[in-house]
Amino acid sequence: MDRETLRKLEMLNQLSLTEEQKESVISFFEKRDSELEILNAIDTSNVERMVHVLPIMTVVREDEVIKTFSREDLQKDAPETDEGYWCVPRVVE
Amino acid sequence: MRYETVIGLEVHVELATKSKIFCSCSAHSYGSEPNDHVCPACCGMPGMLPVVNKRVVDYGMKAGLMLNCHINRTTTFDKKSYYYPDLPAAYQTTQWFAPVAVNGLVEIETKEGKKNIRIKQIHMEEDAGKLVHDIREDTTHVDFNRTSVPLIEIVSQPDLSSAEEVEAYLERLKSLLRFAKVAECEMAHGTMRCDVNLSVRPEGSDKLGVRTEMKNMNSIEAIKRAIEYETARHIDAIENGTEVLVQETRRWDDIKGKSYAMRTKETAGDYRYFPDPNVMPVVIDDEWFDSIKESLPEFPEVKRERYAGEYGLGEYDAERLTQSIALCECFEGAYAVCKNAKDAANWMISDIMRILNNKQMTYDMLSLDGATLGKLILLVTDGKVSRANGKKILEAMFEDSSIDPESYAKENDFIISNDTGLVDKVVKEVIAADPKSVADFKGGKEKALMALFGKCMKELKGNCDPQTLRSILIDAVNKA
Repeated sequence: MDRETLRKLEMLNQLSLTEEQKESVISFFEKRDSELEILNAIDTSNVERMVHVLPIMTVVREDEVIKTFSREDLQKDAPETDEGYWCVPRVVE
Repeated sequence: MRYETVIGLEVHVELATKSKIFCSCSAHSYGSEPNDHVCPACCGMPGMLPVVNKRVVDYGMKAGLMLNCHINRTTTFDKKSYYYPDLPAAYQTTQWFAPVAVNGLVEIETKEGKKNIRIKQIHMEEDAGKLVHDIREDTTHVDFNRTSVPLIEIVSQPDLSSAEEVEAYLERLKSLLRFAKVAECEMAHGTMRCDVNLSVRPEGSDKLGVRTEMKNMNSIEAIKRAIEYETARHIDAIENGTEVLVQETRRWDDIKGKSYAMRTKETAGDYRYFPDPNVMPVVIDDEWFDSIKESLPEFPEVKRERYAGEYGLGEYDAERLTQSIALCECFEGAYAVCKNAKDAANWMISDIMRILNNKQMTYDMLSLDGATLGKLILLVTDGKVSRANGKKILEAMFEDSSIDPESYAKENDFIISNDTGLVDKVVKEVIAADPKSVADFKGGKEKALMALFGKCMKELKGNCDPQTLRSILIDAVNKA
């Protein structure tokens, strides 16, 4: 973990850390990184990837159209709607 | 120095399902009011749980097999973090760690011959909604009808090297996916969209240059122009130092014929992919996999060869018929009944394709039953209905699919009469009423006979074998 990576993570996670917190995060990740190196050293090339911790699979549904909600019901609690649209603060200049 | 262009494509294709990928809302909102096909799941409301549409997985597998991919028999969905109001959950449900299909191969025709384009992966994902910015100045209006409409994204390796190859590749994808009936693939309708990743390097070098991406291209012509522009821009930057190339996403303005920087390119880390805890792994058992494999169509070129070999069709006819699976199915259905491939191909190419063009319908929109067409062809080849009236019956069959050709012919007096007495009578009447044409013909004007022939045919409502009429008419004129 270097300062540049931390800066990027701060931005992605919408965080603003103090100098002290930054030092603490960096030392935390340095420790974790060295632990991960131990795990990375294990040869897993012949091990099938585990896709889920439980032997579980999804159910699927048939391709049928069922209307479950009206627009009016869904928009009941919306702060603002207009002509059937939800309205949000403008996202383009 | 000579340069080569290195292009990889990400092609988004909307799957032809009835409902959305994770909920039962309709996936078709063309002409609907905004937010008419939405529910808590596709609106990203808290507490909602997605349920996978089986047909999306069916089509994902089919697409994978058509593109010679390996199918991941356990395939999983992941969350891609993404903050923008067109996806209200603030993530897109897509596939990152175990996409449905990987490591495929698509063969294209190029000027230098056949070329293989490697497919990195095909993943299933949900589409985003639509944002409208021009209703009011202070807001963006959001329509979630398209949110969660199922897509597959086909990611190629950077194996393409020119606009022509990109065109050939896209046409090949369209053809294969349409044959498998998994998607419409119509760029003009937005059911096929394309992101172009492009870089330039000195010819022969194995090191890739700086890559830029142009997103959401929706016409092959625009893609070709954009590739040419970007290639020239990259070379100019390398040769003349006109600008510093950076890895970024660019927007193509087809009217101005220029690309513009949009944002620096995201890397996978920016999206923070993680397994979607709300969708369990999709496990494709042998029964499911085999049923999809068995449902695959013949590849277009295999059909083409069979039409030429087994049916004896010319290369041109075979090529034209195999442009669309709907044309093939109609042709094969007609052949099964009439047992005459050349006649069936002739009706398909000169009549059905003409009617479709006149109606501004694509070939894939043909819904005519092949067996019914076969019955019509038999009526004409057996001499029961004239070719001209056969065409009228065909036009009627386009308007009403329940029409039986023979019943329709009887109801409309289209059955050719074997009553030569009636033909004699009509010929005599026509000759008597037009002595000038008779005199003209006798005086050597061949055309005059055609005028008399036309009048007789009109009186007989077309229900006469042309050869029979011609010989009776010539006899009668000579005797007159």
